Amino acid sequence: MKITDLEKRIGTFRLQIDHLDIEPGRIHGIIGPNGCGKTVLLKTIAGIYKPDQGRIDYEGVTSREITMMSQRPYLMDTTVYKNLIYPLQIRKIRPEEGRVDELLEKAGLLAQKKQYARSLSSGERQKLSFLRAVIFRPRIILIDETFSNLDPESEALFTEMIREIQKKDPITWVIVSHQMEAVHQLCEVVHHMEKGRVVEK
Amino acid sequence: MADWLKNVLSDPNILSAVRVTFTMAVCSTAIASVLGITFGILLERFRFPGKKIVIRINRTLMGSPPVVVGLIVYLLLMRRGPLGPLSLLFTIQGMVIAQTLIITPIICGMIYSYLRRSAPSIREFAVTMGADRWQTIRLIIRELRKEIYFCMVTGFGRSISEVGAVMLVGGNIRGRTRTMTTTISLLKSQGIFTEGVALGILLLLMAFVLQWICDMLQREEQEDENY
Repeated sequence: MKITDLEKRIGTFRLQIDHLDIEPGRIHGIIGPNGCGKTVLLKTIAGIYKPDQGRIDYEGVTSREITMMSQRPYLMDTTVYKNLIYPLQIRKIRPEEGRVDELLEKAGLLAQKKQYARSLSSGERQKLSFLRAVIFRPRIILIDETFSNLDPESEALFTEMIREIQKKDPITWVIVSHQMEAVHQLCEVVHHMEKGRVVEK
Repeated sequence: MADWLKNVLSDPNILSAVRVTFTMAVCSTAIASVLGITFGILLERFRFPGKKIVIRINRTLMGSPPVVVGLIVYLLLMRRGPLGPLSLLFTIQGMVIAQTLIITPIICGMIYSYLRRSAPSIREFAVTMGADRWQTIRLIIRELRKEIYFCMVTGFGRSISEVGAVMLVGGNIRGRTRTMTTTISLLKSQGIFTEGVALGILLLLMAFVLQWICDMLQREEQEDENY
């Protein structure tokens, strides 16, 4: 994915990316202080925001093959299971029960399968949102700040699952964080952002 | 108690008042829900010049005195009025028109404020999931189903309890346009209190059932158990 001369204004904030290459099949990290525009960049890539100027060349990846995990994931007003299979449902894919259970098991959410999703703890919500992002096998996954507020156990789980996916069928990850450590451990390419721009470090 | 209930339920005047009330409330709530929900969605979704004024007018109409709406509908429907040839004055249809005008702004305003609060995050979520336009609209409606139901129950409650507009437009004709509330009003003026109180209890009972349904919906939201 290539981003060139991208500009997006939100209120007084201005995101300006002259050039950013996101290589397919690799794990990218974006690090920067709060308010530097990381989330705006992710939301623009995800198609939530329309760029004011410039363009993003997705290189053949359609908008349906990109997903984003928000900092505060939106959970639908229904069960854990129905939340998990929603992306499959809208693609008219019949969920393979075995795989669904396997994913839930791995995240330690199998017992909560039929539970009301909004009753989950914040850590469990993040896990569910992560499973929901990977279940439909998208080509690009954008993760916003999730790694900053995970307990060590969940962080290990996410890292392991990401590595597993990369081994089998590599996809593109863009992970945004203000925590250097987590990102440096996992990411193959790290970009730094400051005041709405990508800077070299 | 049982005898009293038997007496009340075997009185054809009371039965007809219950029937008229229900017919009117169900019809007006149905029409007002379709209109109100559609307007609410459009109002939240689109920007257009004068939107603020439209919202302000709607808020004003949400609190409009029913008797004034009744008077306006009466003037429109009376024989010399612009809609006189339709002969809708003193009919249930006429009452439904007045009630729809009272309830629609309420439903529209409530839906609008629910949507303002939750639609942006649902829409954002829908984009990240790759939902198309129709799937997004369906998701928003499904996510707000309890709120939508709550609006409809509120509208229905307003409809069964209203007196002024149905009195003016319906004319309180026995067996045809006499509702439970207008019957109570008439019974009181005739000094017949027992039946008036009986009807009042019936109305309270209906209000209680509605409130109970709303309560069930809210509880379902809070419960952590499987459902």
